[in-house]
Amino acid sequence: MYRYDTLDREILADRSAEFREQVGRRLAGDLTEDQFKPLRLMNGLYLQLHAYMLRVAIPYGSLNSTQLRKLAWLSKTYDKGYGHFTTRQNLQLHWIKLADTPDILDHLASVDMHAIQTSGNCIRNVTADPYAGATAEEIDDPRIWAEAMRQWSTLHPEFSFLPRKFKIAITAAPKDRTAAKVHDIGLAVKRARDGAMGFEVMVGGGMGRTPYVGSTIREFLPANRLFSYLEAILRVYNRHGRRDNIYKARIKILVAALGAEEFARQVEAEWDKVGTDADLPDLEIARIRGAFAGGAFETLPPRSEAFEAAKASQLAFARFVRNNVKPHKKPGYAIVEISLKGIGETPGDATAEQMDVVADLAERFGQDDIRVTHEQNLVLPHIRLDDLPAVHAALAAVGLGTPNIGLVSDIIACPGLDYCALANARAISVAQHIAERFADADRAENVGELKVKISGCINACGHHHVGHIGILGVDKKGEEYYQLTLGGSGAEDAAVGQALGPALPYERVAEAVDTLVEVYLRERKDGERFLDTFRRTGVAPFKEAVYADVH
Amino acid sequence: MKALTANRLVDGEVVFWDGGRWVERFADAKLYDDAAEAEAAEAHGKNQPKAVVDAYLIDLVESEGLWAPLSYRERIRALGPTNLNHGKQTEGGAAIAALKHAHGAARSTGRVDLIRRK
Repeated sequence: MYRYDTLDREILADRSAEFREQVGRRLAGDLTEDQFKPLRLMNGLYLQLHAYMLRVAIPYGSLNSTQLRKLAWLSKTYDKGYGHFTTRQNLQLHWIKLADTPDILDHLASVDMHAIQTSGNCIRNVTADPYAGATAEEIDDPRIWAEAMRQWSTLHPEFSFLPRKFKIAITAAPKDRTAAKVHDIGLAVKRARDGAMGFEVMVGGGMGRTPYVGSTIREFLPANRLFSYLEAILRVYNRHGRRDNIYKARIKILVAALGAEEFARQVEAEWDKVGTDADLPDLEIARIRGAFAGGAFETLPPRSEAFEAAKASQLAFARFVRNNVKPHKKPGYAIVEISLKGIGETPGDATAEQMDVVADLAERFGQDDIRVTHEQNLVLPHIRLDDLPAVHAALAAVGLGTPNIGLVSDIIACPGLDYCALANARAISVAQHIAERFADADRAENVGELKVKISGCINACGHHHVGHIGILGVDKKGEEYYQLTLGGSGAEDAAVGQALGPALPYERVAEAVDTLVEVYLRERKDGERFLDTFRRTGVAPFKEAVYADVH
Repeated sequence: MKALTANRLVDGEVVFWDGGRWVERFADAKLYDDAAEAEAAEAHGKNQPKAVVDAYLIDLVESEGLWAPLSYRERIRALGPTNLNHGKQTEGGAAIAALKHAHGAARSTGRVDLIRRK
């Protein structure tokens, strides 16, 4: 993985010292809350319901064991012994004290980590494929480009006061594991017929109160022109974005207002002005590429007898393999997804002990490489098949062996009203109730791929718009109600979900999801996922079943 | 009936005004049945920027012979999150039980203004 150089470390040290001084001034009363708030937010520090929350950046969701152990230690030392992995591939600590924060930032900096780009109207942490460097599907390693974008965008003076926050995702595989089409900019690595590498550029996707799937404004951007083109997009946005209205300030509103074609025309015109000076030299890309080169892969046979024997003799291991283990580009290796969705647990939460175990496994078996997925799970991207039984046993021993990746209980949920100052309703407990209904692993496997995503308010941190089943918490005269949507997708077949009907009270949501699943099982044809069946039948049979008792 | 709440500046802890200082337990909060007195307390709370952030009044409802925040959000603030038992609810006892069993749902007083600011 990429190692910070002296410049990176100096920036972090300066930033941390600056924040220490700002916190001191706030506590002494020399700064008002209105003056201090934007400063703390630019360091990832929010004030939530019960305490401050620190959002730690995990650039493109990539960690080593030293970093994960540090996060575990911070959560034990300064929090309540756990952290919450988010849909931005970041980690949130929910019980932080303002006075401790400068020390925490120093500790993060000691392992090349920080909380920059986790808040504010800047370019946020770039999302990348958690299988990068491990999947045979990819055209290039997207981490190279994500790291280059991190360096380019970090504290970029021109883009530190954008009309609104700005999120970029990059995928290099046809199967999109980044939700690229619902980002402000989605980049998909492509190859031209002549073998040249470049990007499909999608702009104006997003969720929140006005969801859009992004529009492709360039089918193929030569790879070496990426940064000038990004600069052109951001300049057009910076110039015309609606700073007058927070609800209309994201780039998606601008793209929709102008039309994708006109927006693209303006970007091309700006791009001409920007010229090639804004592009990164090939040498710099090559330097960054070097940091991600290779991996210490052994030459192994594609079949592992130890793996096959464990699979044949242990039902739990076989189930884990079916659902959580994915093909690797190298023979004899596998990608292992670690579910942070234990039945009845809080989606995305990991205890300090669990983080330590994952760090140990990465160090011992996994080339010191850990990823965070936007679906709030972890990944060990390079595990030898021979080592998989031991890895599974170690994970299962600390409650991380849940075999449910991509299944109905692998639910995205934001912190919701249990923690978040913006939320209208709880999301976590709704997820817990749904997962408990599908605790029978055979039944969950029979249902197959089903993405349930829950947000506690319209800001959509839980990605409900792109859930196969989306659940949005609303405040109805002070009570928790939930609007269900069906047919959304954040993957390569991205779509915004369609409303099912009137909002349901808290007590009825898990039961309604159960009903939706039963309708799907009744209606599905060979090989159809829930999403496929919904797209074929439309909303009618689902709606009829859920609201049957209302008629 | 109303109470005055805020988050403590130094650590973000949910606190309540007891008439002379900020306290962590809702059970220790001063209760106001006089609107003018409540508003005066709120004004005083807002004037303590070195102590607290976002002071605002909350509406209360009777529960098991005690008073509890009317809105669900404020009860979560007074108790801790519902997914893990590691907030203020760990104290237990009758006052916590009354909060847990309280009913009544209404928008949190002051919340709309807070969201507008965030």
